[in-house]
Amino acid sequence: MIKNPTLKSKDETEQALNDKELGDAELVDAAVGGNRAAFAILLERHYMLIYKIAYQWLGHQSDAEDVTQEVCLKLAKVLKSFDGRAKFSSWLYRIVLNVVRDMQRSRVRQNKRHIALKDITQANFPANQEEATTYSQMWQAVRKLPQKQCDAVLLVYGQELNHFEVAQIMDVKESTVSWYVMEAKKSLKGLL
Amino acid sequence: MIKKTDKLDILKNADSPEPSKTRRAQNLEAAMLAFDKEQQEQLKQKNKNFQGNGLVRRLMSIFNFSKRTFIMDMRIPLGGVAIIGLVLLPLALMYNSSTSLTGLNSPLGQPVQENKDMQLSENLTKEKPAKLEGRTRSENDGAIALDSAAPVAESEVSEAAVSNPAVQMTSKIAQRPEPLGRIAPTSVMVNEQSGDRFSSEDESSLFITAQTPVSTFSIDVDTASYTYVRSQLENGLMPNLNAVRIEEMVNYFSYGYQAPTSANVPFMQSVEVYPTPWNEATKLLHIGIKGFTPELSERPKSNLVLLIDTSGSMNAPDKLPLLKRSFSLLLNQLDENDTISIVAYAGSAGVVLEPTKASEKRKILRSLERLSAGGSTAGGQGIELAYELADEAKSDGSNNRVILATDGDFNVGISSPDALKGFIEKKRDDGISLSVLGFGTGNYNDELMQALAQNGNGNAFYIDSFLEAKKVLSEEVLGTLMTIAKDVKIQVEFNPLTVAEYRLVGYETRALKREDFNNDKVDAGDIGAGHSVTAIYEITPVGSSAISVDALRYQNEKPVVDNGNKQEYAFLKLRYKLPNEDKSKLIEVPIRVDAAKDNIADISPEFRFGASVAAFAQKLRGSNYADNMSYDDIEALARGSKGEDRFGYRAEFISLVDIANSLSK
Repeated sequence: MIKNPTLKSKDETEQALNDKELGDAELVDAAVGGNRAAFAILLERHYMLIYKIAYQWLGHQSDAEDVTQEVCLKLAKVLKSFDGRAKFSSWLYRIVLNVVRDMQRSRVRQNKRHIALKDITQANFPANQEEATTYSQMWQAVRKLPQKQCDAVLLVYGQELNHFEVAQIMDVKESTVSWYVMEAKKSLKGLL
Repeated sequence: MIKKTDKLDILKNADSPEPSKTRRAQNLEAAMLAFDKEQQEQLKQKNKNFQGNGLVRRLMSIFNFSKRTFIMDMRIPLGGVAIIGLVLLPLALMYNSSTSLTGLNSPLGQPVQENKDMQLSENLTKEKPAKLEGRTRSENDGAIALDSAAPVAESEVSEAAVSNPAVQMTSKIAQRPEPLGRIAPTSVMVNEQSGDRFSSEDESSLFITAQTPVSTFSIDVDTASYTYVRSQLENGLMPNLNAVRIEEMVNYFSYGYQAPTSANVPFMQSVEVYPTPWNEATKLLHIGIKGFTPELSERPKSNLVLLIDTSGSMNAPDKLPLLKRSFSLLLNQLDENDTISIVAYAGSAGVVLEPTKASEKRKILRSLERLSAGGSTAGGQGIELAYELADEAKSDGSNNRVILATDGDFNVGISSPDALKGFIEKKRDDGISLSVLGFGTGNYNDELMQALAQNGNGNAFYIDSFLEAKKVLSEEVLGTLMTIAKDVKIQVEFNPLTVAEYRLVGYETRALKREDFNNDKVDAGDIGAGHSVTAIYEITPVGSSAISVDALRYQNEKPVVDNGNKQEYAFLKLRYKLPNEDKSKLIEVPIRVDAAKDNIADISPEFRFGASVAAFAQKLRGSNYADNMSYDDIEALARGSKGEDRFGYRAEFISLVDIANSLSK
């Protein structure tokens, strides 16, 4: 079912949109109702967040941008399934993480091609070079953790979310989040 | 539960590189198209279920209304009228910015774009009906047709793209760069389209020892030329001849010359004479100078003012974003004794960060992060402001330096370039030096950057990648920031009894008059901590078959007084000042004939590698002298003298020779 859009009159909507008065939830409602401008603002507002999450998880700019594109496209389709129970950003985290996983899975399949490209991209993509220098050990180690632990660590430390929010995003109990983080710390002991 | 001292906390400090603006526009565009498609499908669905339902009609009207609002609100620039313009252009731009990190006008884009043309042509034939439909519709629809061309284009795109997902597909295909090798152009392409400016200098000419026995020049530790040449070659272009400065290419590399052991002697010189790799009948006189490397703890306090160009032209991945990350590297090398200030210039100049202790990293990084590119450049004003701040935070014994980071498009606010140079010179005498970091290609004004740095007792670097930033601002930061000897001049007097002709390889812009050598007022280049500097002469010994100038028939040349000294080729003199002194010191070394090596294999690889770089640079410049040596020979010489090559710079050089080789075939 299409939700009844929260649009009043055209003018009012335009005004509200211009002022960016509307919260995420309202924008989602309007967008789901077919308001193109609302969807555009929603994307603009969260573009950096999506990109930053993707970058933290993947550590590679062009991959992160691929994921961002995928998420933007996906949002157009799945926006209607946002039910407003969680914060929009938390819901968004979940979508981004799913796309990241998809990308990583397909990466494994395309591994051969990836390696062939690696020599060329290394010099050209600053992200790769940076990875090699700054905090690289820690990042690489974290990215190699089991998936759930990796997610928990990056959400808690990389995104600076509290355990409650992380629990919502990961759809687990708060105590489970703490446990993931503890396990991660155990595995990272050598580096800490 | 989370302790403040948690080591994992460093994870949050990692900032991601600025996402590509082109990709962003493209991604948002794609998402909007997907949104439209989704809406259409939903409407179709609803139409099926509730034909004639009032709600649907209302929704449709909203949909149409907001489509137009969107265009007006978001102001997405829609330049092209046809779909080719809208889809291909961003692709071409993105290809350039994401793979090659060059300016947008690199000719490399062209062959690639042609490829895409072919990929797309199939799709385009399919798209035509949709496109026509769109046009007819908009022409019929008075309300839309009254609008400017933009909305028309918009409706075309959405119609065509929605009905043909292939357009979106293509954008995905193009995201992966193709290996360079496959698109390497078949003929030599010289980057003529770019607006990068270089001054042209003739190659140092050959001198007859009997007539001009003395050669004088200032040392040069700049490395910008090599980095520029590298970025051009890596993009499959032969560099502009004038962009190749031999001494800067040679001095890019760090050589393991013998180093001084105490700070009292700021540098050591080593000299080798050996057969010229590109000419059997001549010899190379190779002077290597190695600066003293003090302990990090002995580093003087630094008072650095970052003067950052935030003009519109800096808006490319290899400019402002790279600059930001480069400075965060520099920051890692500094501590609470150092101060950092930031000034931005673009349109209007402004202080972004008042002098701040370098230990307040997050504060500094945050103000860096806030910078964004936009506006035109008025560099002169910015420079004045930067020097004011440097003055403010100046203290005795500290290293006061303005670091100018720009792509070189310098719209000079201080009336003229000459006035600007004068200003910088004056400030240099007040104890504030200038370093120039060049970024990006497209409108890089090499000549001005060089002039500024040379007048400011500073150095110029060209940063084309994060690796390069790491070299300049992290590994060799001491050399970049700490001067151990200033006004270093070299004078060589050749012995006409042993050397018939000589030629200085490179240093065209650094020639000094003979009388300038002893004049301490004449400015010359500086040596940073740990720097190595190389100067190479090609000498033609008396009696060699390579002597190119015949003796005169009608008059005797100035008679050479045979003082019986045939043991020396030349006499080397070096003058330098310690950083805080105004009086120069002198080093004198005779260069003995019997110390010359007969075989190039007998000298240390450090010297041999320098010779290979000199050969390569001359070849790129189209020099008359090094033509005989093939790229293969140069590569072989470099390969044989790679040494430890801890950071891989020499290996990279070898690959550049290889690229030039394939480009020139």
